[in-house]
Amino acid sequence: MPDFLVEFDPDGRQAYISEQDNLLQAIAAAGIPLKASCGGKGTCNRCKTLVRAGKVKSAASGKLTEAELAAGYVLACQSTPESDLVLEVPEESRLSEHRVVLDGLPAGESNAILPEDEGLCKDGECDPLFKKIVVRVPGPTLEEAEDDLGRLFRVLRKQIGADHLRADLETMRSLPAVLRQSGWQVAVSLTEARGYKAVGVEEVEPDGLARKYYGLAIDIGTTTVVVHLVDLETGVSLGVKGTYNRQAIYGDDVISRIIHAVENKDGLRELQKAVLATINELTADLLREHDLKATDVRVAVCAGNTTMTHLFLGLDPAYIRLEPYTPAANSIPALRAHRVGLKIYPQAWVQCLPGIASYVGGDITAGVLVTGMAFSDQMTLFIDIGTNGEMVLGNKEWLISCACSAGPAFEGGGVRHGMRAMRGAIEHVRIAPGGMVVDFTTVDSAPPVGICGSGLIDCIAGLYSAGVIDRSGNILPDLKTPRVRESDEGMEFVLAWSHQSGRKVDITISEAEIKNLIRSKAAVFAGVNSMLKMVGLPLDAIERVIIAGGFGRYINIKDAVGIGLLPDLPLEKYTYIGNSSVKGAKMVLMFRRAREEVEEIARKMTYLELSAGNTFMEEFVSALFIPHTDLSLFPSLQPQ
Amino acid sequence: MAVTIAKERWTSKVNEMVIGVEPNVVKVGGDSTLPFLHFEGEMPNKPVVALEVWDMEPPDWPAVLTAPFAGVLGDPAAWAKKCVEYGAGLICLRLAATHPDNKDATPEEAAQSALKVAGAVDVPLIVIGSGVEEKDAAVMEKVGEALNGRKCLIGCATVNNYKTITASCMVNGHNIIASSPLDINLAKQLNILITEMNLAADRIAIDPLVGALGYGIEYAYSIMERSRLGALTGDKMLAMPVICFVGQEAWKSKEAKTEDNEEWGAQERRAILWEVVTATSFAQAGGSIFVLRHPESLKQFNTHIAEMMKPNNY
Ligand code: FES
Repeated sequence: MPDFLVEFDPDGRQAYISEQDNLLQAIAAAGIPLKASCGGKGTCNRCKTLVRAGKVKSAASGKLTEAELAAGYVLACQSTPESDLVLEVPEESRLSEHRVVLDGLPAGESNAILPEDEGLCKDGECDPLFKKIVVRVPGPTLEEAEDDLGRLFRVLRKQIGADHLRADLETMRSLPAVLRQSGWQVAVSLTEARGYKAVGVEEVEPDGLARKYYGLAIDIGTTTVVVHLVDLETGVSLGVKGTYNRQAIYGDDVISRIIHAVENKDGLRELQKAVLATINELTADLLREHDLKATDVRVAVCAGNTTMTHLFLGLDPAYIRLEPYTPAANSIPALRAHRVGLKIYPQAWVQCLPGIASYVGGDITAGVLVTGMAFSDQMTLFIDIGTNGEMVLGNKEWLISCACSAGPAFEGGGVRHGMRAMRGAIEHVRIAPGGMVVDFTTVDSAPPVGICGSGLIDCIAGLYSAGVIDRSGNILPDLKTPRVRESDEGMEFVLAWSHQSGRKVDITISEAEIKNLIRSKAAVFAGVNSMLKMVGLPLDAIERVIIAGGFGRYINIKDAVGIGLLPDLPLEKYTYIGNSSVKGAKMVLMFRRAREEVEEIARKMTYLELSAGNTFMEEFVSALFIPHTDLSLFPSLQPQ
Repeated sequence: MAVTIAKERWTSKVNEMVIGVEPNVVKVGGDSTLPFLHFEGEMPNKPVVALEVWDMEPPDWPAVLTAPFAGVLGDPAAWAKKCVEYGAGLICLRLAATHPDNKDATPEEAAQSALKVAGAVDVPLIVIGSGVEEKDAAVMEKVGEALNGRKCLIGCATVNNYKTITASCMVNGHNIIASSPLDINLAKQLNILITEMNLAADRIAIDPLVGALGYGIEYAYSIMERSRLGALTGDKMLAMPVICFVGQEAWKSKEAKTEDNEEWGAQERRAILWEVVTATSFAQAGGSIFVLRHPESLKQFNTHIAEMMKPNNY
């Protein structure tokens, strides 16, 4: 079976694929980030690729236009090679175009819940998962000739108050020489590892020669991955980087990823490789910028949803998707980096935060940790709206969680002009009655290139109050505005004209996309209401609502309530905390108290399976309306 | 020992809808209790029956159903008269010819058929389209206009075409049928959408898209019961009388379509029973308007209702 060489221009990358492989696989192999929203089913048109040289066979051409076909565009997922090829992945198909810049949190995505980075360890209350301490070990005498390790342990026990200690072979091999060369004053590396009772003595070095040491806090999101490089002595994040999860090429949401893992021979390996490449690349960038070596990173904490954690570790995700929805493991012991495939110190421990169920993972325990709700009197609702909507309700007495499929819309997926809250994303929209005039603001005030989650929420609220759509999301007939028009995909509304836009195309939202967003918001609200019904509490029992997720900097709570995404509670009860997953991971990295709390949260939190029973479906259908079929649930929106 | 009759106290009632013009009006709804609990509340109007008339010869009605209408099937006006002779309280004109797969009749042609039927009988009219949402909207715009002032009940409006049909009802003084697929929330949503266009709530009838006996009747039953309970407990957006298109469902069933055979007996009796049992069940669930097909079903249904409308002896 011949292998064809596929070259990518202008990237200068190459890949070999067989005649059965499709071009999407070549793109994946060459490491060109692309978002195959439909997972390669040929329906999303996101994998549009130009064949510059060579012959391909295309099984389908989806929604490519005549002009595009004539110009040589194909759908990569639907095309196989018939010769060596030169391909060009156009900018619009790429993810890298918007390579997420998270260096320094954007204004508004406040870090307030964490102690100020600078002062994180000022009070000496830090106890990172990995640390080096200097100890003086009394030398042996004829009268007191205890072994070297016993001698070291005795001192350590006293100094750190640990009952259980453990050393590995490497340490014991080097110990006698190091102790004697250093004049009995040494730097000892200590680690705590999830699932191990004893504190590990990882390394003993002569004092004064020991290098500084660092850790990683990683958020493995379905859509994006964020890495913090943390100075473990001070708790300061030296750098933060984020980018799209490279798994995007295998589909938008966890379900399509699981399907890819299960249905393809090397599927699981491919997904694991993709996410590892994403993390390793971000880490390498961070290390390069700070002139550090991979071996200086001695521990990593990861928070991800259950599927992401499975794919990261190469665990079989098949049963997450099948009734009765059983993950391979919720609670994962610490693992060595070289076993996992993280390119840091090979013997470093990698810890994954414990999950609760198939659709409530370590990212959510992290979030709950950050909010402090598990140890608070206040009845708190925590909502993390990403591709999945996960919700936790409770206080220090009890915690209940559930998850619904909100779809990728709020993260900018599944919407033709959707994007994350990056430069040029429309994040606020105002629409004049009748839909003649649209005012918007964009991230960094750049020319608009798309619309992000908070913009979409504004947009639905604005279209409704402007009388462009009805409560079901239908675009109304007989509107006098040129912004409403018929397209190949039904009715659509023009948010920004091509002459305003940074991409020279009209930025639009279609009726189908509006209805999709209404389904997303309905799923979230129905989840909240199902939990409340389960515990028998009314909406106004909620004392505060904490929102996390991929909305971007400012979610307009008023509009989110206006469309019925969030419950109608006084605005002052709402807080937005940004990426709580990575914040939780960092807390676990730095504080023993956080490690204990996260375990307790995982033990204490119950999970409500929404697919069992009828409540959710009923709640969902009644929420498929702006704001809700039961208008009495939204008193503040009633005409006075 | 004396039995104490438990009575619920309801705070609200079903809207009363008036169809047609004096002196030939039909009133439905107005109930302030569950169906037939005369001891507990008012049931001012009895359930009514409309017989179905088509604007074309129905292609797949079995002989036992066409027989009573022999000679009139090609002529909607004559067919309607025949129905009135059989005792129909209303006529339900189904504009099947407008379906693109049938004759694709134009809205104007449909309006002509509707006018002819309206001119032929005194009883109030229900007019429905072919079920193709977009076409129905266009058809009802013209039909509503042609029947201006006759206070007909027209439909079926769905979430996708309610705008035009509601507008036609408002301009021409008709009532509207709001159809949604067997879901109390969807029914309510459509009622909200329609009333927000300023059509009065008492001019809307809910069509919950019922199924026949053996074809999901229990589901339809519980949806109707729930909307009645909603109406009685003050939910204004569920307080509409319910219309049940029983004929179309019952005559679609295998039990009605299968010819005489040894095991199942005579088709005519069986099919009529199927229609009657479906209809009487929905009367118990709270249906107000019943669209039937066979004149014998109408007779049996009315006999049953007459019994049920007698005051309780306690
Ligand atoms: S169309 Fe190719 S990935 Fe969706």
